[in-house]
Amino acid sequence: MTQILFPETLDQAVALLARHDEARPIAGGTTLVAMRNAGLVDSSHLVSLDRIPGLRGIERLADGRIRVGAMTRHADTAASDLFTGSLAVVRKAAGMIANKVVRNMGTMGGSVANADPAADYLPALACADAVLSVLGPDGAREIPILTYVQDWYETALEPGEILTAITFPAPEDAPSAYRKIARVSGDYATASCAMALTPDGQGLRVAIGACGPGPIRDVQAEAVLHGHLQDPQAVAEFAAALVAKADPVDDVRGSADYRLALIPRLIASVLSDLISAKEAA
Amino acid sequence: MKIAGTFEVDAPQDRVWDKVRDPELMVQCIPGCESIEQIDPMAYRAKVSVKVGPISARFNLVVTVLSEEAPHTVISRTSGEEGTRASVVASDNVLRLEPTATGGTRVSYEADVSMTGRLGKFGLGIFRKKADQLAEVFVGTFRDKLEVAA
Repeated sequence: MTQILFPETLDQAVALLARHDEARPIAGGTTLVAMRNAGLVDSSHLVSLDRIPGLRGIERLADGRIRVGAMTRHADTAASDLFTGSLAVVRKAAGMIANKVVRNMGTMGGSVANADPAADYLPALACADAVLSVLGPDGAREIPILTYVQDWYETALEPGEILTAITFPAPEDAPSAYRKIARVSGDYATASCAMALTPDGQGLRVAIGACGPGPIRDVQAEAVLHGHLQDPQAVAEFAAALVAKADPVDDVRGSADYRLALIPRLIASVLSDLISAKEAA
Repeated sequence: MKIAGTFEVDAPQDRVWDKVRDPELMVQCIPGCESIEQIDPMAYRAKVSVKVGPISARFNLVVTVLSEEAPHTVISRTSGEEGTRASVVASDNVLRLEPTATGGTRVSYEADVSMTGRLGKFGLGIFRKKADQLAEVFVGTFRDKLEVAA
């Protein structure tokens, strides 16, 4: 029998997680409850983050960065007008998660903590250079998104740590987009692509989702591509560098080979859309 | 789900043969293996835990050697279940040893694994990745044990 606990402060939540060996935090519960019902996870205690103040909402910080509380629901992220320009990718990814019911319950922190390789936020956050704030028994720390996912469903979060916020650099005046290939609307991605142009329109940042344990991004290859976005050969070489870093699964959503074949097509297609958007602006 | 691989060990084939049939060594090499107990000359009982992200499973397995030809082939079948949580695994395994030109041994394995019950719901894609990782850990440990003790 699982006991649900409702701490009212973060410190209480951290203490409860430390006290019970098999305790897990629960945020919106959209994945955890389904996995529990399927008998896949079992916990003596679930520590709900629902009643802890300060974990919800999206704000612009004094220096222009955008901070999202971990308990902010997908629906609120999808509707926020703070994700402009290079950060629009985050809002767009939020709007494509599952369905309305899930978007009304699920939270950014929950999704990021669960680190499903085929979920929508991680590539968007990787493209946007997000920083994760966590609090645990040893205090608070920050984890850059590009070092966060360490293996299939394994992250840099230590046992007993709670993801408290996701912070994005101040949005740049550059178009960004999120696209996913999925079997049906609302499914997890077969492959996905989060992309933003640099403000000069000469370069890009891109992260591929659902093609490995975590989002695939190659900052060095992005630097090499800078200034050559209109050169199909250079773009093809860039895409090949990401394909080389991919390690997709074979599953019901598509074979590994199919996913690898999607990567260059997604990159070329989203890039073409963003260049058109930049020219139209 | 088919899992297969090949690796080389810098130890002679007879020695590798003895070791692959040695439960005490195997328990140290198989990641997550808590115990292996020989229940008759051709069968072993093992407890093995695996963890994929939030999902933990602990299997009680019986490995039955169906046939063996010393010192190069073992054909076995593994079957097992997870105590109270109903997942059932079964696999048909073939292990082959052959000498290399440099006096070492090439080990090849193939396993055809099926999994039903709660873990089957999670999808085999990730489990295949996990199996490949576990095989890599096994090979590293096995090689260390044989080559150091040689």
